[in-house]
Amino acid sequence: MAPLSARLAARELRAGVRGFRIFLACLALGVAAIAAAGSVAEAFRQGLSSQAREILGGDLAVTQRLTPFTPAQRAIFEKAGAVAYAASAEAMAQAPSGERRLVELRGVSGTYPLSGKVELEGAATLAQALTPDGDAAGAVVERPLLDRLGLKIGDRFLVGNVPLVIRAVLVSEPDRLSRGFALGPRVLTRLPVVEAGGFLDPGLPFGETVRIALPAGADLSVAKAALEAALKRTSPDLSYRLTDRADAAPGLRRLIDELEYFLGFIGLASLVAGGLGVFGAVSAYLEGKKPSIAVLKALGAEGGLIRDIYLIQLGLLALLGVVIGLMVGAVAPLILGALVQDKLPIPALFALYPGPLAKAGGFGLLAAAAFSLAPLARARATPPAVLFRHQLAGRLVLGIETAGAALAAAGLAALAVITAPTPLAAAIMIAGVAVAFGLLWLLGSGGAMLAGRLRGATRGAWRIGLANLAGPGSAARTAAPAIGLGVALLSAVVLIQSSLLAQVSQVAPRTAPSMVFSGLSTAQGPAFDTALASAFRRSLTPDTYLRAPFASGRIIAVRDLPLERAHIDPADRWAYDNDISLSAIGPEPAKSGVFEGRWWPPAYTGPPLAAITREVAKGADLKVGDSLTLEVLGRRIEVRIAALRKVDFGGFGANFPIVLDPAALAGADLRNVAIAKATPAEERRATLALGRNFPGVNVISVREALGAAADLFDRLALAVRGAAAVAGLAGLLVLAGAIAARAQARAKEAAVLKVLGASTGQILGAYAIEYGAVGLIAGVAGVALGYAAAWPVVVEVFQATWSVDWTGVAALILGAAILAAGGGLLAALQALAKRPAPTLRAE
Amino acid sequence: MLDADATPAPLALTGVCLTLPSAAGPVEILRGVDFTVAPGERVAVVGPSGCGKSSLIAVAAGLEHPTSGEVRLLGEDLARLGEDRRARLRRGRVSLVFQSFHLLPNMTAEENVSTPLEIAGEADATRIARDWLDRVGLGRRLRHYPHQLSGGEQQRVALARALAARPELLFADEPTGNLDAANAAAVTDMMFDLVAEVGAAMVLVTHDDALAGRADRVARMFDGRMLQVA
Repeated sequence: MAPLSARLAARELRAGVRGFRIFLACLALGVAAIAAAGSVAEAFRQGLSSQAREILGGDLAVTQRLTPFTPAQRAIFEKAGAVAYAASAEAMAQAPSGERRLVELRGVSGTYPLSGKVELEGAATLAQALTPDGDAAGAVVERPLLDRLGLKIGDRFLVGNVPLVIRAVLVSEPDRLSRGFALGPRVLTRLPVVEAGGFLDPGLPFGETVRIALPAGADLSVAKAALEAALKRTSPDLSYRLTDRADAAPGLRRLIDELEYFLGFIGLASLVAGGLGVFGAVSAYLEGKKPSIAVLKALGAEGGLIRDIYLIQLGLLALLGVVIGLMVGAVAPLILGALVQDKLPIPALFALYPGPLAKAGGFGLLAAAAFSLAPLARARATPPAVLFRHQLAGRLVLGIETAGAALAAAGLAALAVITAPTPLAAAIMIAGVAVAFGLLWLLGSGGAMLAGRLRGATRGAWRIGLANLAGPGSAARTAAPAIGLGVALLSAVVLIQSSLLAQVSQVAPRTAPSMVFSGLSTAQGPAFDTALASAFRRSLTPDTYLRAPFASGRIIAVRDLPLERAHIDPADRWAYDNDISLSAIGPEPAKSGVFEGRWWPPAYTGPPLAAITREVAKGADLKVGDSLTLEVLGRRIEVRIAALRKVDFGGFGANFPIVLDPAALAGADLRNVAIAKATPAEERRATLALGRNFPGVNVISVREALGAAADLFDRLALAVRGAAAVAGLAGLLVLAGAIAARAQARAKEAAVLKVLGASTGQILGAYAIEYGAVGLIAGVAGVALGYAAAWPVVVEVFQATWSVDWTGVAALILGAAILAAGGGLLAALQALAKRPAPTLRAE
Repeated sequence: MLDADATPAPLALTGVCLTLPSAAGPVEILRGVDFTVAPGERVAVVGPSGCGKSSLIAVAAGLEHPTSGEVRLLGEDLARLGEDRRARLRRGRVSLVFQSFHLLPNMTAEENVSTPLEIAGEADATRIARDWLDRVGLGRRLRHYPHQLSGGEQQRVALARALAARPELLFADEPTGNLDAANAAAVTDMMFDLVAEVGAAMVLVTHDDALAGRADRVARMFDGRMLQVA
C-alpha cells in the first residue's frame, strides 16, 4: 500500500492542475529553450563529425604558410597515403573591361578532392572545368565575382598576369568549412597555374596544404604521430599545422559551443524569470490549501506529513512541466531541421539527443526546487489556528525546505558554470543574473512602497490603482522583476548589437582605412606612392596614407625560454598560436601609442629592439626589457622589448602587433603594405589604375568588408533578438500568473467598487494604471540593468565605441508598459464580467 | 462524574490569558480563564459574539498558544509540547467539529472520515469510515465530494470524522450555526447520542440556549472571562 503522504497527495491532485498552468508553462518554456539550444548544437556537432573527412578533405591535413613544401616533405606525405595538394593566395582579378577585385586564388592538384565532391554549375566535373583553352587555364569561380566584374561562363579574365577562362560557377567545395574566412570570392584552378603565376614566390603571403587519405584500416592517431615524427626529423625548422579529421573544423566547433551557451543562457534566464511564476503559483496554491492544511493538523497531522503531501504533488507537477519542456525542446529542432536543413551552411544531423535533454531536465528540476521549496516551508508551518483566524499571514520560514531551495539554487548556478565552454564568463553571467534579479525585486518593492506613499495624494482610479500596487499581493514584487529580467536581457542584446553595428557602419568608416594594399615590394614603393596619388588626384598625407614594410613571423621563445602555450590564457593565445604581422619602422610614428618604455632613435643600429602591443604583452606577461625570440622569413631573431603600445586596431595607423627597428631585419627582402583613406570614387579610380602598373598588388576594400559585416549583423540581429525575447515571454507568463492568482480577489473588489458606484471606466482605468506602472518599473529597471551589462561588453570586450539605440530602448520600455497595462485591462474585464451579487454572496 | 483522582480531567485550563496583536493594538481575547472538563462530561460554553468562546476552543485544543496560564489536555501540559507533539496528542483522542464544517474539499465523504484514522495509523480506516457514515445516514453518499453535499450532510460527515476514532474529548464550535432548524435538530440529536455512545467528554460552544440545555453543565463567558458555571 502506498505511504499515507502519497495517498493524500493523490487525493489532492484529483482536483486537476488548473492552478498550475503558469507553473507548468514557466518551467516548460525554460526547459524547452535549453533543450532546443542543446539539441541544435548537438545536431551541428554530429553533422560535423559525420562529415569530418569531407570537411578536412582527407584523414590528415598539413598546412604550411609562406614556404612551399620541400621534396622531402612531399615524399613523407606520399608515403603516408593518397595525397591532394592545394595552395591559395590572395590576388587581384581583372575583367577585360578593366574592373578589378581581390579574390582568393586556389590551385589544386589533379587528385583533388580526395573526399567529397566539388559542386559546379556549368560543368559536369572539376577535371573537365579545369582543362586549358589555348593560353588560358580553366577556372571555376564563385558567383559574386561574375556579378562584380560583369563576367559570365566562357569569358576570359586575368588573375595577376595569368589568363584564365571561366568554365563553371563554383557552388561548393567539400573542404570549405575547414579553411575559414576568405576576403574575396574564390577562384579555383590547377596548382601549376598558380605556381607559374608567381603567387607562391618567397615572401608572398600564401599557404600550401596537403590532404592525405590514409589506407583502409590505418589507425588515425598512429598515422598522425608517425607523420609528425617524420616531419620533425626532415624539416625541424619549418612551422606547419597538422590537423586530423577528428577535429576538422575547430573554429566552427568553438562557435557551436558558444552558440549553445548563449542560447542556453537565455533559456536559463527564462527559467529564473519564470521562477517567480513558479514561486507565485506554488504560493497561491498553498495559500488556497491553508484551511485544508489547518484541518489536517487539527486532525493530528504533523508538519512533516503536510510537507510530504505537497512535496509529492509539486514534484510530480515539476516532472510534468519538465517533460513538456523536453518534448517541445526535442521536437522543435526536428521540425526546424526538416524545414531548413538544405539551407544550412553547416552540416547538421537533427535527431533526439539524450545528453542535451538530460542537461535541460536537470536545469528544470533544480529551478523548480529552488523556487517552490520556500513556499512549502511556509505551508508546513501553517498554524492550525488558521481555522479560527484567517488573517494569520504566512511568513518566510527557515527550515529544511528553505535550505533545500538555497541548495537547489546553488546547484542551478553550479550546473550552468560547469557545462559552459568558458566557466569564468558563465560564472560572471550567472552572478549578473542573480544580482539583477535581486535589484529588480528591490526596485519592484520600492515601487510598491512609493505607490503606497503617493496614493494619499490621489483620488478615484489613481488611488485604487496605486493602493493595489502597494498592497500585499502587488505585481510590482512578482511580475515586475520577472518582466524586468526579460527586458534587461533584450536591452543588453539590443544595445550590444546597435553599438557593434554602429561601429562597423559609422565609426569604422570614419576612423579605419578604407583601402589596404598588399604584395608590394620595397623597390616598388615610391612609384606606387606616385601612382596612387595620381589616381586619387591629390597628394598623400600621413593622415590619409601610410606605407610600411610588412612580414609575418612567429614568437617561439619568451625570456629565453621555449614558449609554453598551455600557460597562456586562451583569449590571448592568438598572438602565440599563429604567425602574426610585424613591421620595421625607424622614426616613431605619430600616435604610436607608447605607454611604457621608449621608441628607438630614428637611425638606431644596436641590438634588435621591438615595440609590442599590450595585447601581445598580456599573453606572456611581457615587460619592457624582456627578450623575445621571433622566427621571421626563416630567420631567428632575438629582440629586446623597448616599448609597449596601446593600439586601436580599428583605427588608422601602424597597427602591427610587433614593430622592430629597421636594422633588426636589414638585408631581408621585405614586402610593403599600405593603407589609405579614400572616397568611393578615389577607391574605384585607384583600383582600376593600379591594374596597369601594379597588377601584383592586392587591393582590399575595407569599405566592402565592413558593408558585408554590417549585412551579417543585420541578418543575425533578428535571430538573436528573437532568442532573447524568450526571456521576455517568461516575464509575461509571470504577469499572467500574478493576474490569475488575484482573479478572485479582483472579482470581489470590482463587485464592491460597483456597489459603491464606481463606473466601468474607473475600474478599467485603475487596473490599467496599476499594471502599466508594473510594466514601467520593469521596463526602466530592465533597460538600466541591460545598459550596465552591455557597456563593458562593448567597450572592454569588443573595444568598440558605445552608442545607444534610443529607439530600441524606448520601444522596450513602452512595450513592457503597454503589455503589462494590457494585462491589467484583461484582468479588469474578467473581473467586470462577473455579476456583483453572486460574487459578494459567495463570500 | 468520575473521580478526578482516579482519571485525570481530559481538559483543565488555569488562569489562561490570550492576547493577540492587531493593527489597532493588542486585543485581550481571554482574561484569566479557569475551566475544567471531567471525563465523559458534556459542557456547553455560551456567551455573546466576540466573548472568546471559539478562542477558548483553539487554546484548549492546542491550536493556539495562550499568552499565559496553563492548559492541560488529556493530562499533558501543552506549554511543554511543540506543534507536532500536540498534533500527535490529538490523534484519535481529541476531535473538533466546526461551524463551517471544514471538510477537505478534494476528498470524498469517505476519505474525509478515513483520513484522520489513517493519520492515527488505523489499518482498517476505510471500513470504519464507511460504518460511521452509515451511522450518520450517509451510507449512500460515500463517494460524494463536500460541494456535492448539503450543509446538514456536510456537518454529519464532520461529525462522523470527529467521532470515528472514538476520541476522549470532542470540541464542537457552533456545530449547528450554519444549519436550518430541521437539520440543526437532527445533527444535535445525532451528536449527543454518538458522544454518549463513545463515552467522550464534550465542550460545546453555542449561542443556542436550548442546545446548551442538553449539556451536563453550562459555562457562561463574557468579555474573555468565565462568569459562571451552572
